[in-house]
Amino acid sequence: MFRAAVRLSVSGARSLTWTRLGCTAPLAQRCYSHGGKQETDDEFDARWVNYFNKADIDAWELRKGMNTLIGYDLVPEPKILDAALRACRRLDDLASAIRILEAVKDKSGPHKDIYPYLIQELRPTVDELGISTPEELGMDKL
Amino acid sequence: MSLAKPAMRGLLGKRLRFHLPIAFALSVVAAAAFKYGVTEPRKQAYADFYKQYDATKEFNNMREAGIFESVRPTGK
Repeated sequence: MFRAAVRLSVSGARSLTWTRLGCTAPLAQRCYSHGGKQETDDEFDARWVNYFNKADIDAWELRKGMNTLIGYDLVPEPKILDAALRACRRLDDLASAIRILEAVKDKSGPHKDIYPYLIQELRPTVDELGISTPEELGMDKL
Repeated sequence: MSLAKPAMRGLLGKRLRFHLPIAFALSVVAAAAFKYGVTEPRKQAYADFYKQYDATKEFNNMREAGIFESVRPTGK
């Protein structure tokens, strides 16, 4: 009898988990507030590109923006990273620029195909701004 | 050869949606296995022992063995 209860509660818990995380699909990071309209991926990206494109962004805002962005369940799009790297250039902050590249590699976790794609997309920006990648500096090895 | 765009959003959510139900199920299985493999046999062993337990007989055996101070063996 207990075994039957265990089986029922397992399947019940499974469906509970499914419904709770059911709203994840494309908008992975904004399930919490259901008051207003859900933001699309493009709106999210545009918001962050605008954030980093602010001409007089200061160092705190750069750090705050990057830390917030890294907290989301996503790897930032190349266009967001491009804006962030240009913000680093405006702030004369090469260290942060290289750190951003390290951070997105780490965010990819086990998905090893994301970082090479990002470097491919960011290659023009990285060359233009004179940023060395962590690999070029040998910083990716322990 | 230019790389195709991989999936970049919701990767942790996807992983959790896959692994959490499995983790929950395995925990329940582990708990059930422990309950039916360890605690229930243990409870049954105690029940079986005490089903035929004669407290008076055991008391007298202990008394004759001389372990009590409040009551001496019947010989003395």
